[in-house]
Amino acid sequence: MKLEQALQKSTEILQPWNQEGSRPAPNRVDFTVQPGDIAAIGAALRREKWGYLAAITGLDLGVQADSLEVLYHFCEGAAIATLRVRLPRRGGVVPSLYADYPAASFFERELSEMYGVTVAGAPDTSRLFIPDDFPDGLYPMLKDFDPAALKERPAVAPIPEISPKSAHFIIPIGPQHPALKEPGHFEFGVDGEIVTSARMRLGYVHRGIEKACEQQNWIQDLYLLERICGICSHSHATAYALGVEQLAQVEVSERAQAIREVFAGLERIHSHMLWLGVAAHEAGFDTLFMYSWRDRETVMDILEQIGGNRVNYSISVLGGVKQDIKPQDAEVIRKGMQFLEERINHYLDIVTTDRMFLQRTRGIGYMTREQADYLGILGPTARASGIARDIRIDAPYGLYHRFPVSQVIDQAGDLEARFRVRLREIIVSTHAIRTIIDNLPEGELTVRVPRRIPAGEAISRLEAPRGELFYYIKSNGSDKPERIKVRTPSLCNWTYVLVSAIGRQLADVPLLLAGMDPCFSCNDR
Amino acid sequence: MNDLSIIPLLSPIIFLVLFPGGLALILTGFLYEWLDHKLVARFQNRIGPRWFQPLADAIKSLVKEEITPAIVHPSLFVLLPVIALSGALTAGLYVPLLGLPPSYSFSGDLIVTFYLLSLLTLSMGIAGWNTPSHFSLIGATRTLTQLFSYEAPFLLALLGPALVAGSAASGSAASNAGALNAWTIGEINTFAANTSWSALTKPIGFFVALIGLMGKLELPPFDAPEAETEIVAGAMTEYSGRGLAFFHIGKSVELVIGLTLVAAFYLGGIANPLEFFIKTIGLLVILALLQTILTRLRIDQTVGLWWRYGAIAVLAQWAIWIIVTVIQGNG
Repeated sequence: MKLEQALQKSTEILQPWNQEGSRPAPNRVDFTVQPGDIAAIGAALRREKWGYLAAITGLDLGVQADSLEVLYHFCEGAAIATLRVRLPRRGGVVPSLYADYPAASFFERELSEMYGVTVAGAPDTSRLFIPDDFPDGLYPMLKDFDPAALKERPAVAPIPEISPKSAHFIIPIGPQHPALKEPGHFEFGVDGEIVTSARMRLGYVHRGIEKACEQQNWIQDLYLLERICGICSHSHATAYALGVEQLAQVEVSERAQAIREVFAGLERIHSHMLWLGVAAHEAGFDTLFMYSWRDRETVMDILEQIGGNRVNYSISVLGGVKQDIKPQDAEVIRKGMQFLEERINHYLDIVTTDRMFLQRTRGIGYMTREQADYLGILGPTARASGIARDIRIDAPYGLYHRFPVSQVIDQAGDLEARFRVRLREIIVSTHAIRTIIDNLPEGELTVRVPRRIPAGEAISRLEAPRGELFYYIKSNGSDKPERIKVRTPSLCNWTYVLVSAIGRQLADVPLLLAGMDPCFSCNDR
Repeated sequence: MNDLSIIPLLSPIIFLVLFPGGLALILTGFLYEWLDHKLVARFQNRIGPRWFQPLADAIKSLVKEEITPAIVHPSLFVLLPVIALSGALTAGLYVPLLGLPPSYSFSGDLIVTFYLLSLLTLSMGIAGWNTPSHFSLIGATRTLTQLFSYEAPFLLALLGPALVAGSAASGSAASNAGALNAWTIGEINTFAANTSWSALTKPIGFFVALIGLMGKLELPPFDAPEAETEIVAGAMTEYSGRGLAFFHIGKSVELVIGLTLVAAFYLGGIANPLEFFIKTIGLLVILALLQTILTRLRIDQTVGLWWRYGAIAVLAQWAIWIIVTVIQGNG
């Protein structure tokens, strides 16, 4: 079996480090390793082409234990290999994985600013999420962090003088900029119209949701996590619910799972259509923007009709779903999907034949399969570069084994391919949704989930519209989680923008940025 | 004394300030700007603004505080919008606005009008250079780069009808003065009214003139100089209040003048107000359609388009016209 082979292979790769590996779940293998070996193990996994680095999770084991644990999650298909590293609570050092996994840079910056772990050899150690005026030596994710310490903040550093004759001509994009609908900061150095350097800074709307989750009970967390992102709220709620149900060993009825999949499909459709409009707007094609957003209302109306809300529709709850799909809803969905399929085919025709538009997309933002794999790109952006990476297919969750979706993949690797992939995914989703509502299984909407979740840890991954959404959930047996780690797909895809913008025209940058469908609120969770 | 004697003295002031220049021109500009926005909005499946929106925008901008950035040449910052607007308004005196004969006319006023119109673009470019904002600097570079790309083909496209009119006039009058008179916009307008539509006999020239006008007005797809998703408002980023309003009004005025010129030269002249409105609004509908269906060009693509295709197309039009004239002359 593929999963078994992958797990077996990872154990073989870890052999030189005398690792047996434990199996906390059928699809997982854990290795406890020394901090100094991380870089070498990472390099070995990369050499053997075993998966990608999905996330780095920090864990504070408490003041009494006086140690931190850092988990490096590597994923290959459905298999997850976790390297566990023990560190002292203060002054822990781990080597950087940047050389083999560029996306690690973001994970490591987050780890060091949240837990005070020093990452040796990291190219960029500046803050990623927490504010510049945050006091040094305070690490918010540590269990003994006291928010009262924040009352005395040092004075904000003065804004540097503007020098019109500075050596680098920097075009700042953000935090407030017409191209950005959410705050983020990018600095593009330009030579004339050509971009020569790129830097970014996130965290302008960081809400500390991971920390807040540790102070709320399991039910409250559902609503908190759903609000990480307004677009993929259902993905967040479902990923969390899947993880908690796994911990509580609760079996959700097939009907509830099917309804979850319908909503996941609807969410993907409205997310991709939103993206289509934004991307067209960034390219300066506002007509497509207006039309695609008009048609997107079809999905929004369906969501409103069934769930009562357009954005945070709260469909997934722990143990099932909140709303049923009634026969009259099914009829509206069928009509809507029919209409959207026609429209999307039309837009697909436009973005692949309109010559003016193709001038802005064809051959631009080109990323080969190897590059995308090296950078650890996820979701439709990866699939547009020919990487068959889709959790719904690689590691089917819910009812995806019964109602599978077909893989959409494109080898071209440019912006045009990203348009094609996302639009085809909408069409695939419209088909999948109609199949499910025609064969909706019977069953209860919800099953009971205990208030206190048994101690343990779970990893749940699902395919959000932007790519793999990764949740690590640890319970200590109480009514509040010990730790919830959320790794959103956008965080892995930033490297693509920073790498591909260099050498391109400044005019291409907004479209390159849009090409990965960035979600700032997902990052700034 | 006869009271009527002051009328000749007053008339230039009326021409300049009220009608057909000045106020009337500005109001027409607002009307056309609204029409443009409304048409594009309807083509894009939107509602679009109400009829007084451009006027309301202008009034609002005019009453707002004007912020002068710290690192600018202050007098230049204040003067440039004035120069831009006055250039556009002065140009209005030499064209058959609202179907009336031009207020003033002299030999070669076509060239002067053309450069008065470019004054707006030039002022915007310098205004961008004057401010330290990086968006402004990139915007200014793009504005001026675009100016150099469309200017020559656009001028050549407008000179075509002038030359036709000139050669016809010199042929008939057989005098040097006749040929010189043909370089006035009024004469070309009259000549065009008496011959078949140049848009039909010289379609390439017409097309280049129309697209050139879009480039001049920085309308999509030639809106790279003010591409908001990249450089916010381009050269205008640091302008607010009065300065912004003046540049804005200047652009609306240029829209009217540009449409008038193309209609007068290529659509069989403008003899009366009705003809003026029908022909210019007809052109505006085409412009709005093009704005709707085209994607913004990058600045390098704009330059490439104009020098690779625009310039060659208009030169080909000239070549065709010369050959036709020679054959007709021989025959």
